[in-house]
Amino acid sequence: MIALLLFGWLAGQAGASNAAQHLQAGLNARNQHQVDVEIAEFRKATELDPRLADGFFNLGAAFMEKRDYGAAIAPLKRALELSPDLPAAHQLLGYALLAEGYAAEAIPHLEKVGAQDALAIAQLETGQLSDAVVNFNAVLAKRPDDPDLLYYLGHASGLLSKSAIDALISAHPDSARAHEALAENYFVLRQMPQAEKEYQEALRIRPDLPGLHLELGQVYANSAQWPKAEQEFRAETKLQPGKAEAAYRLGAALLQQGKAQEAFVELKHANDLKPDMPETLYSFGKAASLTGDAATAEKSWIRVIELEKDTSLAAQAHFGLAGLYRKQGKTDRAQHEMQEFQKLQSTIGPPRSE
Amino acid sequence: MVRQLTRRNFLGFAALAATAPIFEVKPLRGVDFILQNSPTPQKYLIETMPGGVALFDYNNDGLLDLFFVNGGRIANPLHVPEKFDRGNSKYWNRLYRQNRDGSFSDVTEAAGLAAADNGNYGMGVAVGDYDNDGYPDLYVTSYGKNVLYHNNGDGTFTDVTTKAGVAAAGWSVSAGFFDYDNDGHLDLFVTRYMDWDSDHNKICGGDWHTYCPPGVFPATTCVLYHNRGDGTFEDVSERSGIAVKKGRALGVSFADYDADGFTDIFVANDGMQQYLFRNNGDGTFRECALESGAGLTSDGKGLSGMGTVFQDYDNDGRPDILVTELPRELYALYHNDGQSAFSYQSLESGLGALTSGSSGWGIGLEDFDNDGWKDLFVAQSHVLDNVEKIDASLRYKELPLVALNHHGHFDRVDSGATSPLAGRGAAFGDINNDGWMDAVITTLGGPPVLLLNRAGGSNHWLSIALRGTHSNRDGYGARVQVNGQTRFATSAGSYACASDKRVHFGLGSAEKATIEILWPSGQKQVLNDVRSDQFLEVREPGRS
Repeated sequence: MIALLLFGWLAGQAGASNAAQHLQAGLNARNQHQVDVEIAEFRKATELDPRLADGFFNLGAAFMEKRDYGAAIAPLKRALELSPDLPAAHQLLGYALLAEGYAAEAIPHLEKVGAQDALAIAQLETGQLSDAVVNFNAVLAKRPDDPDLLYYLGHASGLLSKSAIDALISAHPDSARAHEALAENYFVLRQMPQAEKEYQEALRIRPDLPGLHLELGQVYANSAQWPKAEQEFRAETKLQPGKAEAAYRLGAALLQQGKAQEAFVELKHANDLKPDMPETLYSFGKAASLTGDAATAEKSWIRVIELEKDTSLAAQAHFGLAGLYRKQGKTDRAQHEMQEFQKLQSTIGPPRSE
Repeated sequence: MVRQLTRRNFLGFAALAATAPIFEVKPLRGVDFILQNSPTPQKYLIETMPGGVALFDYNNDGLLDLFFVNGGRIANPLHVPEKFDRGNSKYWNRLYRQNRDGSFSDVTEAAGLAAADNGNYGMGVAVGDYDNDGYPDLYVTSYGKNVLYHNNGDGTFTDVTTKAGVAAAGWSVSAGFFDYDNDGHLDLFVTRYMDWDSDHNKICGGDWHTYCPPGVFPATTCVLYHNRGDGTFEDVSERSGIAVKKGRALGVSFADYDADGFTDIFVANDGMQQYLFRNNGDGTFRECALESGAGLTSDGKGLSGMGTVFQDYDNDGRPDILVTELPRELYALYHNDGQSAFSYQSLESGLGALTSGSSGWGIGLEDFDNDGWKDLFVAQSHVLDNVEKIDASLRYKELPLVALNHHGHFDRVDSGATSPLAGRGAAFGDINNDGWMDAVITTLGGPPVLLLNRAGGSNHWLSIALRGTHSNRDGYGARVQVNGQTRFATSAGSYACASDKRVHFGLGSAEKATIEILWPSGQKQVLNDVRSDQFLEVREPGRS
C-alpha cells in the first residue's frame, strides 16, 4: 500500500527540483532510476549544506523509493525541521512512520496533507476505529473496488463493532442489550442452548424490545424446534406488524410444520409488506401449492425466476414448477421446467442435501 | 378444508390423549447378541453403518426367529486386505430360534451360520425362498463379500455363494429378494454404498474428528442378480440398466408403483438424488426418479437417504415411498399421485414437524393399532457418535419414532422406549402371534431391542401368508388388498433388514374382510367374507 502511494507521489515530483549541483545530479539519477546514485548525491548535498531542506527531503524520498523506510525517517524529519510546511515531506514521513509501525506518530503528518487512506490505516492501528471507518469509507467512494481498502474497512468495522459490544457488556452487563449481544455471539458460534438462554434473559428484562423474538425464533428454527420458533416469530409480528421479515419467518416456520393455510396468510402478508423478495415469493409459492392454489404458486415461482434468473433459488422455482405441472398432467411443461432446473444445476452445482 | 382441519385436530388431540404407549420394551429372553461395530479413532466409515436383523421363521414352526448381522473387530489402524476376526464368536452373526414360551435359543453354530469369513464386516440381511423349497434362505451383505445361505430345511444352512454366484464385492448394505421378471423365481437386488477401503479412508470435521460425508468417497453401482431357477444367479446389472447409474445406495424397497404388473425398485441414496428404477417389463429398468418427482426434496435438493419403505400410507391403492434422512432434512414422503408421478408430501403429512431434528435408519409402515391405517416406525440415531459436541441441538442417541396414521397424517405417540438408542436396523413382524405388529431394532455397540405391541384396543386384524404356485412360493410382489387397504408382499425395505413376510392388515371394527390378491403371475384372486383375527394362508389358484 505504502509503495503504491509513494510511486504516485514520486512520479509527480521527478524533475521538479532546482537545487544545487549534487541535488541536480541526484534528481537526474532519479529520472534514470538509479536509486543508489540518487542517495549518494543527495547525501553529499546535505553534507555540503546541512540547512538544505530540499536535500534532506530528497534523500528521504530516495530511501522511500528503495523501500528503506527506517532510513528515510531521519532525513525527512530534518527536512521538516528546516522547512516545517513542506507538504510532501509530511506525507512521506507519515508513510515511513506508518510502515515502520509508528502509527501514532504518523497521524499528524498524514492529517496535515489529507492522506486519507494511510491516515485511516494509522487510525485503525491506533484503535481510533470510528475515525478509521469514516476515512476508509471516504476513500472507497473514490476507489470502490480497491481490495486492500475493502479489507481494511471490513476489519475496522468488525473491530469497531466488537469494541462497542465489549463496552456495552462491560458497562451494562445486566442490560437486555448486553444479553442480546452475547446471544448473537453464541448464535454465530452455533452454541444454541447458550444463545437461547441469553435471548430469554434479554426478553425477561425488556419483553418489548424489537428484534429479540425474531432472533430467538431463529435459534429455535436452527435447531428445528418449529413450534417454539413459530411462537417467537408470532410474538415479533405482534410487536412489529409492519416488519416483513417477521412475517416471512413466521410463514416459513408454519410451512415447516405443514400448516400450509396459515403459512399462506403470513407469507402473503410478508410479500405485501415488502414485495418481490425472492425468498418470500418462493415460500409463498410452496404454501400456495400445498393449499392447492396452483395459480398463485405458479405466479410466485415464475416471479422468482424473473428476479433471480440463474441462482439456486431460481433452480428451486423451476423444480417447483415442474412438480406443479406434473401434477396437472402438463407433461411437456413439466419436462421443460425440469430441463431448466437441470441446466441451472449444471452451472451452480448438483443438488445437495441441506 | 375447514372440516378436514377440524377432524385432523380432533384426531391429533385424541392421539395425544391416548397416554398408553403402543409398545412395551421387552427383554429378548435368551438373546445375548451385541452388535460389534468396533469404533476406532480412525473413524472408518463402516463403523457407523451396521447392522441388520431378520424376522423370519426359518424352521416353519409358526414362530418368528431372529437373525442378527454382526460387524467385526476393526484394528487400529486397519489396512487392506482387512481382517475382521469373524472367527471369534464375539463377532459371529447370530441365529436365535424362538421357543414356544417366547424365549429364544442361540442356534447359530448348529445351523452352520457361525464364523463368517474373516474379510467380511457384516451389514445387512435379506430373506427369500430363492429355490421355492418352502424354507426361507438368507443373504447376508457385508463390506467384503456377501453370502447366500441356503436353508436346508432341517435347521441348518449351507453357504452356496460360490455356486449361486452372488458374492458381489465392495461395500454392500441392503438387499432384497423380488421377482422382477415374474418367472416365479426370486431375483436379488443389492445396494452398494460407495467405493471405499480402509487404505482410502478419510477423517473429516477438523478438530472434531468425525466420519466423513458420503460425497467424499466415489460413488458406485448397485447389483441385480437374475435367478436362473437352477440354484444359480446371473449378474444382470449392466444388461438390465441398473449399473447405468452410480450412487451411494443404502436402502432398497420394492413395489409396482405404476400398476403395470412388474415390480419396480426404489433406492435410497445418501447425500444425493434418490433412484427410482422403473421396470420396463422386458428385463430392463429405466431410472426415472427426477421425472417422476421421487428424486429430490420439494426444493430440488438431494437427500441423505438411508432407510426406505414402499407401501400405500393413505389407502388410495397406490404405493408411496418413505425415506429416512439426517437432521435438517425431513424424512421424505413421496406420495404416488398416479400416472407414474409422485409428489413430495413430507410437510402435508406431518413428517416435517416430526422429523426435522432427527436421523432415521430402519423404517416401517405397519398398522400397529390395527385401525386400518399404516403407522410409521423409525429407528433413530445420528450417524456421528460425537455430534453433540459439534451441534448441541442434536443427539447421537434418540428414541425411536412412532407416529400413528390418522387418515394420512402422522402424529407422534409414545414409543414405549425410555432410553435413547443408537438405532440402526428395524424389522417388523408379529413375534408373539397375537395379531399385533411388533418391532425389533438393532443398536450400534449394543443389544437389540424388542418393542412388543401392547395390543391395546378392540380392533380386528388379519395376517395373510401367501403361497405362490405359478408365482414365487411366498408371493413376493403380490398386491394384496383388504377392505380398501393395499400392501405389496415383501420382506425387504427398512434399512439392511428383513421383516416378517406375512402380510398384516388392521381391520378396525370390521369382523369380516374381502381379500383381493393380484399375484405376480397376473392371476387375480378374491376371497369374500373372510373372518377377521386369524392367520390365513392363501394359496395361488391354478397349480398344485
